[in-house]
Amino acid sequence: MNKRTTRSSQLLKLIILSLFGTIAMVLLFLNFPLPFLPPYLKVDFGDVPTLLAALIFSPMAGVIVQLIKNVLYLIFTGAADPVGVLGNFVAGVTFVVPVALFYHRFKGNKSLIPGLVIGALIMVISMGFLNYFVLLPIYSAIMGWGDMSSQAMLSTILVGIVPFNLIKCLIISTLFIPLFVKLKPWIKQKQALFN
Amino acid sequence: MSSKIIIGQYVPSNSVIHRLDPRVKLVTVFLFVIFVFFANNTLSYGWLSVFAITSALLTKINLKYIIRGLTPIWFLVIFTFLLHLFVTHEGQILFQIFGLPIYSGALIQGGAISLRFFLLILMTSLMTLTTTPIEITDAIELLLHPLKKIKFPVHELALMMSISLRFIPTLMQETEKISKAQASRGVDFKTGPLKERIQAVVPLLIPLFVGAFKRAEELAMAMEARGYQGGEGRTKLRELSIRRLDWSAMLVFLVVIIGLFLFRQ
Repeated sequence: MNKRTTRSSQLLKLIILSLFGTIAMVLLFLNFPLPFLPPYLKVDFGDVPTLLAALIFSPMAGVIVQLIKNVLYLIFTGAADPVGVLGNFVAGVTFVVPVALFYHRFKGNKSLIPGLVIGALIMVISMGFLNYFVLLPIYSAIMGWGDMSSQAMLSTILVGIVPFNLIKCLIISTLFIPLFVKLKPWIKQKQALFN
Repeated sequence: MSSKIIIGQYVPSNSVIHRLDPRVKLVTVFLFVIFVFFANNTLSYGWLSVFAITSALLTKINLKYIIRGLTPIWFLVIFTFLLHLFVTHEGQILFQIFGLPIYSGALIQGGAISLRFFLLILMTSLMTLTTTPIEITDAIELLLHPLKKIKFPVHELALMMSISLRFIPTLMQETEKISKAQASRGVDFKTGPLKERIQAVVPLLIPLFVGAFKRAEELAMAMEARGYQGGEGRTKLRELSIRRLDWSAMLVFLVVIIGLFLFRQ
C-alpha cells in the first residue's frame, strides 16, 4: 500500500482506536470471577486492546482506547456503578502507560517483560492509593457504612485489592506476551504505514 | 453473548421522557445523583421518590421490565439493608431475631439508605432505557463543546464514540463467529488449567485485531472518498434542539430541587 498523507493516516488511526475501544468493551463481557476472590472483583481482558494500541502507537493512544471502553460500558450498563468504572479506567491507564513508555524507550521484545513488571507495580501501588483516598470513601458514603476506619480500609486494600490487581496483571500478561510475539511482524508492517 | 448487550437497554417508545432532549436528561440525572444525598427525612425522601416514580411511569415502559432490569442491584440493596439492620444500635429495641436485637433506628437508617441507592439506580437506568446510545453521545459532544476553546478534541472524540457504537454489534458477532470457528478446531475455552484457558483466548484475539485493522482501512477510505475532512464546517444528520417540552421538564426539576431543600431538615 502507498504511503498515506498525514491527514488520512490521522483519520485511519482515529478509526483504528475506535475499533480497539469497541473490542475492549466486547471483551469486558468475557470476564470471569476468580474462584478465591469476592465476585465483584472480576478479571476481564478489556485491557489487552488498550495495551496493544499503546504499543503500536503511543501511550496516549492507550489512554484513548481505555476512555472509549469505559464510556461505552457506562452507557450500556445504565451507569449502575460509575465508581467501579472510574477504578477500571485508572487501573488500565496506570498499567498500560508505563509499559508503553518503557517499550518505546528501549524497543525490542526483551523490553516487554520488564515493562509489564514495572507497569504492574505502578498500577498496584496507585490503585492502592486511589482506593484508600477516593474509591472506598465514596463507596462507604453511598452505602452509608459510616466512615470506614483507616484500619478497615487498609486491611481491605491489603487483603482484597492488592492481590486482585496483581492477579489481574498476571493474567493479562500471560495472555498478552504470546499474543504480542505472534503479532509482532504484523505490527511492524502496520507501524510502517504511519511513520 | 446475549443480544441484550447489543442493543444496550434502550426500549423504543414515543413517551414524553423519550422525546426529551438527551442533554436535558443527562444533566437532570447527573444533578439528581448529587441532590439525592441531601435528602435526610421522610418528607424529602418521599418527595424525591414521587419524582422518580412519576418519571418511571411517564416513560410508558412496563414497570415489570424496569424492575427486572434492576435485578443485579437488588442483591446490593438487600445486603446494605441487612447490614444496617444488624450493625446499627440506635433507638429502641423492637424485636429479636435469633437473639439479635433489632433497633428502630437501624430499621429507619437501613431503609433510608436502601431507598437512596434504589433511587440512584432507578434514575440512571431511566436515562439509558429511554435514550439511544447515539443520542447520549450527541448530548455528550454538545455538552463538552465549550472545551473546544482549550483545544480539547471534542469532535474527534465524538466521532470515535459514534464509530465505536456503530461497530459494537458487528464486532460482537465477529467475536462469536471466531470463537465458534476456533472451538470447532478444538480450542477449549471452558475447561483445563487457568493458564491454558487464558492462552486459549489468543487465537480468538488475533483475527479480531487483524480484522479490525482491515475494517478501519476500508472505513477510512470510504470516508475520504465522501470528502470527510475533520469537524470544521461539518453538518449533522441529527440536530438537537431545546423545545418547550424540555423547558418545562427543567422547570419541574427546579421545583423538585427547591422542594427538596424546603422539606429537608
